[in-house]
Amino acid sequence: MRLFRYLGHRLLLAVPVILGIVVLNFFLIHLAPGDAASVLAGESGAATPEYMALLRHKFGLDQPLSTQFFVYLLNMAHLDLGYSFRNDSPVVTLILDRLGPTLLLMGTAFAVALVCGTLLGLVAATGRRTWRDPVISVMSLVAYATPGFWLGLMMIVVFAIRLAWLPTSGLDTVGADNEGWDEVIDVARHMVMPAVSLSLFYLAVYTRVMRASVLEQTGMDYVVTARAKGQTEVGVMLGHVLRNALLPVVTMAGVQAGNLIGGSIVVETVFGWPGIGTLAFNALQSRDLNLLLGIFFVSACLVVVVNLVVDLIYTSLDPRIER
Amino acid sequence: MTDSYLPPTMISRRAALVIPLGLATLRPARAATEPVRGGTMVMIVNPEPSTLAHYVVSAGNIPMIATQVYEGLLTYDWDNKPQPNLAKSWDVAADGKSITFKLQTGVTFHNGAAFTSADVQYSLMEILKKYHPTAPVVLAELIAVETPDPETAIFRLAKPAPYIMKALAARDLPILCKSVFEGTDVMANPTANKPIGTGPFKFVQWERGQFVRLDRNDKYWKPGLPYLNRIVARFIPDAATRSAAMETGEAHFAGYSAVNYADVARMKTNPILDTTTKGYEMSPALSVLELNSRRPHLDKKEVRQAIAYAIDRTFIRDNVMFGYGLPATGPLSRLFTPSGLYTDAVRRFDVPDRLDIANKLLDDSGVPRGADGVRFSLHLEVNSFGEQWLRQAEYLKQALSQVGIAVTLRSEDTATWLRRVYTDYDYDISEPFLGQGIDPVVGLNRQYLSSQIRKGVTFVNNSFYSNPEIDRLLDEGRSEIDPAKRADIYHRVQKILVEDSPLIWLIDVQYVSVFNRRLHNHTTGPLGTYQAFETAWLG
Repeated sequence: MRLFRYLGHRLLLAVPVILGIVVLNFFLIHLAPGDAASVLAGESGAATPEYMALLRHKFGLDQPLSTQFFVYLLNMAHLDLGYSFRNDSPVVTLILDRLGPTLLLMGTAFAVALVCGTLLGLVAATGRRTWRDPVISVMSLVAYATPGFWLGLMMIVVFAIRLAWLPTSGLDTVGADNEGWDEVIDVARHMVMPAVSLSLFYLAVYTRVMRASVLEQTGMDYVVTARAKGQTEVGVMLGHVLRNALLPVVTMAGVQAGNLIGGSIVVETVFGWPGIGTLAFNALQSRDLNLLLGIFFVSACLVVVVNLVVDLIYTSLDPRIER
Repeated sequence: MTDSYLPPTMISRRAALVIPLGLATLRPARAATEPVRGGTMVMIVNPEPSTLAHYVVSAGNIPMIATQVYEGLLTYDWDNKPQPNLAKSWDVAADGKSITFKLQTGVTFHNGAAFTSADVQYSLMEILKKYHPTAPVVLAELIAVETPDPETAIFRLAKPAPYIMKALAARDLPILCKSVFEGTDVMANPTANKPIGTGPFKFVQWERGQFVRLDRNDKYWKPGLPYLNRIVARFIPDAATRSAAMETGEAHFAGYSAVNYADVARMKTNPILDTTTKGYEMSPALSVLELNSRRPHLDKKEVRQAIAYAIDRTFIRDNVMFGYGLPATGPLSRLFTPSGLYTDAVRRFDVPDRLDIANKLLDDSGVPRGADGVRFSLHLEVNSFGEQWLRQAEYLKQALSQVGIAVTLRSEDTATWLRRVYTDYDYDISEPFLGQGIDPVVGLNRQYLSSQIRKGVTFVNNSFYSNPEIDRLLDEGRSEIDPAKRADIYHRVQKILVEDSPLIWLIDVQYVSVFNRRLHNHTTGPLGTYQAFETAWLG
């Protein structure tokens, strides 16, 4: 019951946050010079004043800013994200089309980074005076310093061009019309390289955070007490240290999870992955304001949700945090 | 896995086994002229179009897809001469003021509607003339399309418009289905992204950020065509990955320099790939410098000429364009040579002592070098449409420093750049890339007519060039139907413009296509990628 009150309270607090983001975004975006009509006409390579006026009228850009804002707020009140005139499509459709692939890729990268990073950190910390610690530490440093796009391109050269094990890019093999498990395997093959290049950076971060955190915890009094009770080293690690050492990792994971929905422009671009990142980038480039505001709105909502989930995980790991 | 994906290592491994044994072929020999039916062709289109509403947006990435679906009244042969398509014959009246088209019979749109002269009338008068961005130039003289019977359409022109006969391919003036558009708001028609035409391929699906899928039109009116079962247009934003997709055989065709010039040399060494520069004969384009003549010094003809002399166009061609294209001589592309309109008998800036001339012109026009060797400073607005323009800008900065002009580069995103250069006019030099259209009336008129100084409109006269003689000549050229007289008019225009140098013309752009050797008959005319792959096949 207390949990539900807590949840309700937090969700209520989220409303003014999201409203503030919506209003701020609208005016920030309108500070950018240039408009969608001029970009579209620019790409057409030819235009007349009549054509530009036609476009501006169609896009609603001939209305005063206050009217545009009012229309926007009215639409948002109905949870209507509007229409992308540039793409001749409702904003909701455009975002939903990208949401699946984005969450699939980012979720996979997130899970891989979190699980492997935590394990490697634990392995490194428990093997301080063996070969394990220096090897893992050096590797995590290299991974931390490697730019994702470079790694992506190098993987394409090696695994797609030279070895021909994996496809270069895309979500699946277009025109193959795979069904069932064939499609799952096909998508998985397409996802290997982008997921690896995305996860490596965070994997390194988690490894380092986890290693430091475990080392810190092992010096604590309660660990000495546990050892004195006669528990085995494995029992001490899994029963006592792990749970406490995870707290800073969860904090980091919360930050990364907030970025998930935004996608990754660089990796999406290199691997031609249909994610939200490139959609937002293109929307910004072409001043497709309705679409951009829609993406901001969806991202803001998801960040609020992710923060809530992280807080809930905190309290389950360490009940003392609950207030 | 489909037949579209064959790892190159498989081929080389098999070849390595087979060739030493002296076996001649792996498969039964097949004449290259005997097409194979079926298969999925994957082409790379870059960047992804924002819309497929080909009739209201003329961005260059749309027609690669749209011309597979929509057809035009005519198509063109390698001499740029009109050939029948939806019109089986035509007759231009002696006074040039009417054109009669006899239409094909038995043609249907993908929605089942029969194609008649009413569709031609509606497409031209109700859609293209009202909404197409180039219509105010190309269709300015078209006052009516008469339809005496379903198989005849007669264009009525206020004045002769010889360029219309060059603009009737699907790329420029697609024929749309009247029943789809009638009574609707053209700008909000749902078929914008689900095109319905008469072409060899039907639109099936557009997964944004991934691909457009087009399937064979089984009821296509040309018997036996097309050969391919399916065309998939893929969108890959990263240039290196686009090249990789060609190298692995995942994609079969990349037109309009979707593969970067920098990578083309490597593609040529790949045994499964080949390249061609054909298929762009009707897509003239120039890279230029626009000069703001309202800025100090740039208002002087001699200063502008000096800048033109200071630039080594061959260097740009070799190092920025990787050897593709030709150094430009003036405001018209060399692709207008077959029609006799192009001339290089103009003031030439590619002379051996060009730097001395440039320095002398600047000395004589009262801009001496200061103590630091600098005469004056300028900002150059870097074209935001690709990496190569930054490289060109870097060269220009060096080239102009040789004659004492200090250049500062300014890179902004597309919307900001366009606004600065065409609306705010807050620029000195800009380096756009200008498509020249099917006829000089498209490229020259919008750039040099004084009536085209139009604030807020992109790619028009923003150098504030105003010359009554040019205005008069361009007006004459529009409606002159005698080819020799017309050529003479445009030769004079080129001479005057080069002398005045309101712009500086850098490169006659040459696009390049990269294709997989399994793909045959892909480039069958001067429109190249901008015409249907109806006879293309995969071997």
